[in-house]
Amino acid sequence: MINLKSIKSIDDKALEEIGFTWHTDSDGSKYVSDKLVLVTHQEAEDYYEAINELYEMYTKAAEYVIENNLFFEIGIPFNLVEMIKKSWENDVHWHVYGRFDLAGGIDGKPIKLIEFNADTPTSLFETALLQWALLKFNNMDEDEQFNNVYDALRDNFRRLITLFDDPELFDERYDGWKILFSCVEGNAEEEVTTRLLQQIATDAGFNTYFEYIQNVRFNDEEICDANDNPYEYWFKLYPFEDIAHDEPELATMLTHVMENQKAILLNPPYALLFQSKGIMKILCDLFPDSPYLLKTSFEPLPVKCVEKPLFGREGANTKVLSSSGDVLKANDGPYGNYKKVYQEYVEFPQDNNGNKYQAGVFFAYEACGLGYRCGGEILDNMSKFVGHVLVN
Amino acid sequence: MKHINSLAGSIALGSAGIVLMNVLGGCSQEEKKEQNKFLVIEQLTNGKYVVVEEMPTEGPSRAIIRSKDANGTVTERIMSQDEMKNLASQEYNKYQNGGSELNHEGGSEGMGLGGTILAVAAGSLLGHMVGNALMNNSNFANKANSVNRSAYSRSAMGGAANSSGSSAKKSFFGGSGSGSSKTSSGGFFGG
Repeated sequence: MINLKSIKSIDDKALEEIGFTWHTDSDGSKYVSDKLVLVTHQEAEDYYEAINELYEMYTKAAEYVIENNLFFEIGIPFNLVEMIKKSWENDVHWHVYGRFDLAGGIDGKPIKLIEFNADTPTSLFETALLQWALLKFNNMDEDEQFNNVYDALRDNFRRLITLFDDPELFDERYDGWKILFSCVEGNAEEEVTTRLLQQIATDAGFNTYFEYIQNVRFNDEEICDANDNPYEYWFKLYPFEDIAHDEPELATMLTHVMENQKAILLNPPYALLFQSKGIMKILCDLFPDSPYLLKTSFEPLPVKCVEKPLFGREGANTKVLSSSGDVLKANDGPYGNYKKVYQEYVEFPQDNNGNKYQAGVFFAYEACGLGYRCGGEILDNMSKFVGHVLVN
Repeated sequence: MKHINSLAGSIALGSAGIVLMNVLGGCSQEEKKEQNKFLVIEQLTNGKYVVVEEMPTEGPSRAIIRSKDANGTVTERIMSQDEMKNLASQEYNKYQNGGSELNHEGGSEGMGLGGTILAVAAGSLLGHMVGNALMNNSNFANKANSVNRSAYSRSAMGGAANSSGSSAKKSFFGGSGSGSSKTSSGGFFGG
């Protein structure tokens, strides 16, 4: 049983003032829990170590996919392959951030990788700011949290310029390159996530601008805002695989923009290799003894397992299968056409009401912050965000 | 253990954290000093103003106001930090009452002088908290961006050529079908 601490909630009006408008789910329930998960310092250290090691493993697996031309196997759309290879070749295509989802890590359960949201992760505002504010609001010690997200992201934006050198050298090396931030219009969560990232990049010292994605203008040479001002970087909180399928002409243009070295895409195209759940099969092949991996295959497993589409999000089109292949639980969704992977089933840590907790650990050059999602058997978009506090 | 404990203050949380604390109240913080600015503000033919140059300055903030009279004669005058502060704070009061151009989306190009100054220098003139609280409002931020042409006039353009209009550009993600966002919380469900 995991340990929780009840706290005073921040009222909706104050949340709205800080831009956090998605505080209530469509069923009227609160999205942010009025409890905190109690996490020991050792557990936080273990998450940190695990995530750094997992990221290393992901980079090796991505290298393996590229060297052995396994793009098709892990479901990468053909019209993104060139872009992915290009982005992998040069460090300027720096991975800004991602979020690892994990089972275990608390309540004596071992840390197990569920997936890596490496392309367009959300929950950033909740993890970086809101759970910290919950400690502050409840007069608790705000140092007692595994949460360095803002700082780590700011430094990682600076690494777009300094690469492997000290991010403090940003000021002397920065040449005025600008970042255009984009997302779709009409989704508060995505817009706040994007604008928060813009704010962090501005704090890092970049010139930045925001443009809704439908107003961004492209050709083979440039990525421009609605006024035709070109940008050296384009950050889009929009999935690469959707560009590949829904806007193939844009996929071709972006490939040309990269070939012409006119602009850099963020997160970089190779993040899609990490994002594909198919890479977890490659990870299992390359690191069969890793304590962090659940057995994953492109075929149903002879044990209780979870079927997931290669590019599903928020638990959609996910099924829990028994060892004989019977469907025990299923979520609908729009990703049914994607190829599937099968991942060995693992029990999530639970509270005394039977709610299950999945850890989300952000990565920006290193593991940098922890938060939890709480829900039922399959964590979906009705799951709740739960902050944490460190205890001894 | 940097990765665990580095949220010891506003520095680690950056400006977003300061806004957050400001809203939550009871969390007093030292205001971060904003960089003072030297601005060149130009009057358009419609009588409104835009910022054409913006530079950080060690000294007090000041601005050159370049305006044209009815005969097209250009005059330049220097506006002191106190004058700028005065105009910005009048505009800020208007903004808070909903009566500033910065409250409204769209409109013709440029803004009145007070609006223009508040848009680009709210932080350095009225303090970091005010600046960030304003920029946290997407309407204000868009309007502020629209009035500031300075970032694009910088010569250090790096890789991307300053060649807008060199060949036809296209927009994507238009129409109702191609967006893949859902409206409630969470990811990118197909529309």
